[in-house]
Amino acid sequence: MTSSRRRMLGIVIAALVAALGAAGWAEAQSALETVKKRGKLIAGVKTDFPPFGTIDSGGQNVGFDVDVAHLFARALFNDEHQVELVAVTSGNRIPFLQSGKIDIIIATVTITDERRQVVEFSEPYFMSGSLLLVPRSSPVRGLDDLAGKTVAVVQGAIQDKDVEQLQPRANRIKFGKVSEAVLAVKGGRADAYVHDDIVILSLAKENSDLKAVGKPFVPRPYGIAVRKGDTEFIQWVNAQLGRMRQDGTYDRLWRKYFADVEAQLVKP
Amino acid sequence: MTGGPTAYSFDWSAVARGLPYLLEGAALTVLISAVAMVLALGVGLGLAALSQVPGRLPPRMVAADVEVFRNTPLLIQIFIVYFGLPQLGLKLSPFLSGLSALVLYAAAYNAEIFRAGLEAVPKGQFEAARSTGLTELQALRYVIVPQAVRISFPALGNNLVSLVKNSSLVSTIGMVELMFVANDISFNNFRTFEIYGAAAVLYIVLVLALTRLLRLAEERLLPAP
Repeated sequence: MTSSRRRMLGIVIAALVAALGAAGWAEAQSALETVKKRGKLIAGVKTDFPPFGTIDSGGQNVGFDVDVAHLFARALFNDEHQVELVAVTSGNRIPFLQSGKIDIIIATVTITDERRQVVEFSEPYFMSGSLLLVPRSSPVRGLDDLAGKTVAVVQGAIQDKDVEQLQPRANRIKFGKVSEAVLAVKGGRADAYVHDDIVILSLAKENSDLKAVGKPFVPRPYGIAVRKGDTEFIQWVNAQLGRMRQDGTYDRLWRKYFADVEAQLVKP
Repeated sequence: MTGGPTAYSFDWSAVARGLPYLLEGAALTVLISAVAMVLALGVGLGLAALSQVPGRLPPRMVAADVEVFRNTPLLIQIFIVYFGLPQLGLKLSPFLSGLSALVLYAAAYNAEIFRAGLEAVPKGQFEAARSTGLTELQALRYVIVPQAVRISFPALGNNLVSLVKNSSLVSTIGMVELMFVANDISFNNFRTFEIYGAAAVLYIVLVLALTRLLRLAEERLLPAP
């Protein structure tokens, strides 16, 4: 190696070390301040998860979580359009938050102890158990019937671990997106798809060749998430959620999105 | 950066904990890539040979195959084989679905590479071989193809390296290879940088091993004339 090459290598290594070190520093400012300065909230929402986050036929984001994002924008800027919606999946939403691609996750995040260690959660805003989506003609009625069967789950979703624990004899197949897991059941690639009760019920309603079965198991709350340690932002989120409950906004959203499946849901 | 506190500090022990699973994934990456490579070389050579057959139809069929598989994203091909074909009644296993898409995609490139190699051998060589009494097939077998392969070798190596990296796309159909494992671990422990970094290093190791093998093959099989 020539000396100039060696020097170049040294510079590259030094730059790498500096970059790695810098990435580890915590920023002092709350994302709330950054958002206000920017004049726009960047929120991660689902796009394949009815009725919380989907894309309508006109290409618009719609759903419960999407409405919440717009309400937050209105509270911040008095304009519900000052929000940029970024499509996230169960797998990439927390990395998106950690890497600063989004300010906030409003995307059906189930609150778990593991996730509490890496993000800051709001107060719960929804309760969800898990159900099975199976072909209409399937004899499967619940988790017990899935021994030796192929079960689709979404990578990064809690059901991956739930099914591993509750039905260890099932053969899990993992997909990146809800839509792919649904395709897997439709195409006979999987005998069942296990996910949050609300999305399974909605998918069964939209797809006449599929049905929802089972009793909702392991009910857990959904929370909105911001970066770990950002207490200022999460307190603001909690205040907004509290206001939504008091002024009737939450009930209005509940009726708008959940009225038709309400009977089968776990009450918060 | 959107600002606000970053929750990130590095934890390289996550790599140590994930390594056995990552290596399991790497083993499947090696398997599917190796099988796809052998098949894609065979199919590619067959297609290139077909493109040299006199007559209009065979070369046009080869050209159509190449245009279809080279001009569409590999991910779409994988999804068509895995999700689409079962609706038409052809249900291949996830492994075979991923494998066949990889083979068809890489073979289209290989066919073009071999064709270029064949066409780069001067016409006079064939005529000279025929005039020494060799049959057409013998002339191809002993004179034309060995030279074509030598000409094609560097481009072929590049395509095989691409194949190893492209095999990461079969993670989307639930194949538990290296990319899938990296997703699986990082989606659960959120050590994104460390785990994808480790996966990237493993890919580098695999590709370095492959390029070393290719160089050995070139030295052994194709000694400089």
